Amino acid sequence: MTQRRFAKTTGIAATLGAIIAVPFMGWAQNQETQPAIAALEANLTDERALFNATVDATVDDDLLELGQLVAMGGAENGGSGMACITCHGANGTGDGSGAFPRLAGQAGWYTYKQLVDYASGARPNQVMSGIAQRLTEREMEAVAAYYAAIDAPYRPIPGEADVSLLQWGGQLGAVGSAEKGIPACVNCHGPSGMGNPPSVPYLAGQYANYMTYQLQLWREGGRDNDAMNVMSAIASKMTDEDMRAVSEYYARVRPVVDVVETVPASIDTPEITE
Amino acid sequence: MSQRTLPKTDVVIVGGGWTGLTAAYELANAGQRCVVLERGRHRHTATSFAGPEEHDELKYALRYTHMQDVKKETLTFRNNRDQQALPMRRLGSFLPGSGLGGAGIHWNGQIWRPLPSDLEMRSHYEDRYGSQFISDDLTIQDWGVTYDELEPHLDFFERICGAAGYAGNLNGETRAGGNPFEGSRTADYPNPAMKQPISNTLFGKAAEKLGYNPFPMPSANVTQAYENPYGAQLHPCTYCGFCERFGCGYYAKADPIICVYDRIKDHENFEIRFEAQVLQVEKSADGKTATGVTYLDENGVEVFQPADTVCLNAYALWNVHLMLVSGLGTPYDPETRTGTVGRNYSYQTIAAVDAFFDDSITTNPFMGAGALGVVVDDFNGDNFDHSELGFLGGGYIACKQYHGRPISYQPVPEGTPRWGAEWKRAVRENYNRHADLVIHGSSVSTHENYLDLDPTWTDAYGRPLLRMTFNFPDNDRKMSDYVMNRAVEIAREMDNVTSVKSVNLAAEGNDYSVVPYQTTHNVGGAVIGTDPATSVVNRYGQMWDHHNVFVFGACLFPQNLGYNPTGPLMGLAYWTLDHMKNDYLSNPRPLMDA
Repeated sequence: MTQRRFAKTTGIAATLGAIIAVPFMGWAQNQETQPAIAALEANLTDERALFNATVDATVDDDLLELGQLVAMGGAENGGSGMACITCHGANGTGDGSGAFPRLAGQAGWYTYKQLVDYASGARPNQVMSGIAQRLTEREMEAVAAYYAAIDAPYRPIPGEADVSLLQWGGQLGAVGSAEKGIPACVNCHGPSGMGNPPSVPYLAGQYANYMTYQLQLWREGGRDNDAMNVMSAIASKMTDEDMRAVSEYYARVRPVVDVVETVPASIDTPEITE
Repeated sequence: MSQRTLPKTDVVIVGGGWTGLTAAYELANAGQRCVVLERGRHRHTATSFAGPEEHDELKYALRYTHMQDVKKETLTFRNNRDQQALPMRRLGSFLPGSGLGGAGIHWNGQIWRPLPSDLEMRSHYEDRYGSQFISDDLTIQDWGVTYDELEPHLDFFERICGAAGYAGNLNGETRAGGNPFEGSRTADYPNPAMKQPISNTLFGKAAEKLGYNPFPMPSANVTQAYENPYGAQLHPCTYCGFCERFGCGYYAKADPIICVYDRIKDHENFEIRFEAQVLQVEKSADGKTATGVTYLDENGVEVFQPADTVCLNAYALWNVHLMLVSGLGTPYDPETRTGTVGRNYSYQTIAAVDAFFDDSITTNPFMGAGALGVVVDDFNGDNFDHSELGFLGGGYIACKQYHGRPISYQPVPEGTPRWGAEWKRAVRENYNRHADLVIHGSSVSTHENYLDLDPTWTDAYGRPLLRMTFNFPDNDRKMSDYVMNRAVEIAREMDNVTSVKSVNLAAEGNDYSVVPYQTTHNVGGAVIGTDPATSVVNRYGQMWDHHNVFVFGACLFPQNLGYNPTGPLMGLAYWTLDHMKNDYLSNPRPLMDA
């Protein structure tokens, strides 16, 4: 059976301390943005990462360590040939061009499934298929968990977008189009496009060029690896402008995380007197 | 007197649900100018039913946001003629819709056909069991239209919905894996059956072991991208578990807005008016025809809309109410057992069986769909020998996984306290270990179950309320008990089951109550037939007494089927529309001699 809850134990904390001391920096290309394992460990209480724990392996320190190793290009079969961090960055924010999607904080199971699909050809991609084929099952899980646990800042949004285009994108995202028969993005991708783990990725903060290209792939039949092929049905009703509009809109949305902090520790609760 | 009279239209249609919008589509395309009057508001599948907002269980499932407002229109209820009927002030046992699409928005999408013998119920039972078999208390009768006549229309509606299933009888050939009892189909379902979860699969295996014939429930939750004959594009179901009581913003559950309305709304012959509350159908001086309808518009102004043809497409109960307040047809009198409007009202008998698994089975009930089920039809209709049973009719037994919503889905085994820590523990332990079986039974019609106008209470518009007099017929109590016990046997046969409990809502000694939800399948009251003494409309859905009034919906059923009514009533609708277009409209007259 798989483990559903990640339990913090003193043992893990001790091991994590040891990991931090390991001099892996030598491999990393982008040392400044490399998140510390301690920070990842804290993020494991986030359900986006937790869901990954139901794949096959328990998310524990070993898995995270392995994930980090894979991200940096090291793996059992002599490495994937190309380190994830080369294109997606050590913190999973890509290079900002939109050629490479943001992976940080993405639903772990979703990322894992994409790797499986790249490897099998269910999601054809010249670069990613070769990389994924060289990863073991456990390495796919590990690197997906690793990126799921990262809480990285957002890069500045490149370029400008027309306000009416953004408005149309926001409308499509929130309520869809009755005229065109396009269901709203929020139906599945969650309020503000924050994602619906384990299977539905976030849109908020994803790069516009990447999302537009994916929508085109779905429309043209180049991508059909979602469970029910729902996205093809939707994309086939969208024009290029619709795709650009939702993509530019969601690239500018930031997910609202941890909004519920009802009693901040710094506030003294007033005494109630008779 | 109406404050305004509008220019005459060809056809006025009361109600903008499945049958009303379909009538408008077919008649507008046949050159008729159609005006649809919908009491509720405009809404749209894309803009009104999208998650996450739509997935608000409290708002939609418990506070009935898509349903009709009983503060304006309701009915009074009593179990028998000796009681004083009282108004139903909250929705409960059944949930009629309001607004564009009607109850077709919040249905589960279970799309059935009647059995051939269902449509000839009286003659079928007399032929098989002898003329003395049917008790004098029962007023069951033949529909006057046969399965073979309805088949092309049932098939067409399945195409409109993109129905998902597996034919059990294709052109007379029985196919393993489908329903072997169904009438012959001329075509398979347009889409493949749904993927079944573990609880339904274990049910099917157990049923098979007992010698029954399990098959996937026919579903209007579409399983792949699909374009219907009107050009509507539907999307695959995501098994989100929000069908019944909710609209489907995924375009995956067929509904009248995306399947029909969007394809007709821009037609030059089509017009729809919202917040148009129809008060009465007006008659000519000689009483032989209708002249149009009077309604309150969105500003509360009373308007007369003249029309050559009137189509009644409201919910079953409100069609009957509209006839009674308009003086259409002759009201049924239970004393003399004469008259037809309100006669042969019937409901449905629902029983449920819960099976609980050991901890090696995880059911994930939150992954569900309205018509996600495995069914056996071995105890429906006359698919089994009734000679020694003391009742007629039957029902299907289905294991369904249609939702796992937090407020309403808390299955607990027998003996669990109803609240407190023990109850909470039981919910935690059983949420993921539960199989949900339903027995969806038929209901016979009797002399004493009927609809009429209440002498005391009125609605917001000053009209007498509809009065329902109903209790479960003894026939149905026995039937429900018998079929439920077969379901219990299947549940006990299922692998990994540790306990089973059952409840028959129509058990001996239980009076029918309008309070707990049972089913929205109210039928009858304006029934179809070939004899004007026992039916309101002839076999084409045309009123015997007023030839330019056509009636649609489940109010036509002379007694209830052991199936969900939407498929059968839409088959009837296309049958009626076919005869309107090809026979009546070019030469308006009674299509049958009284």
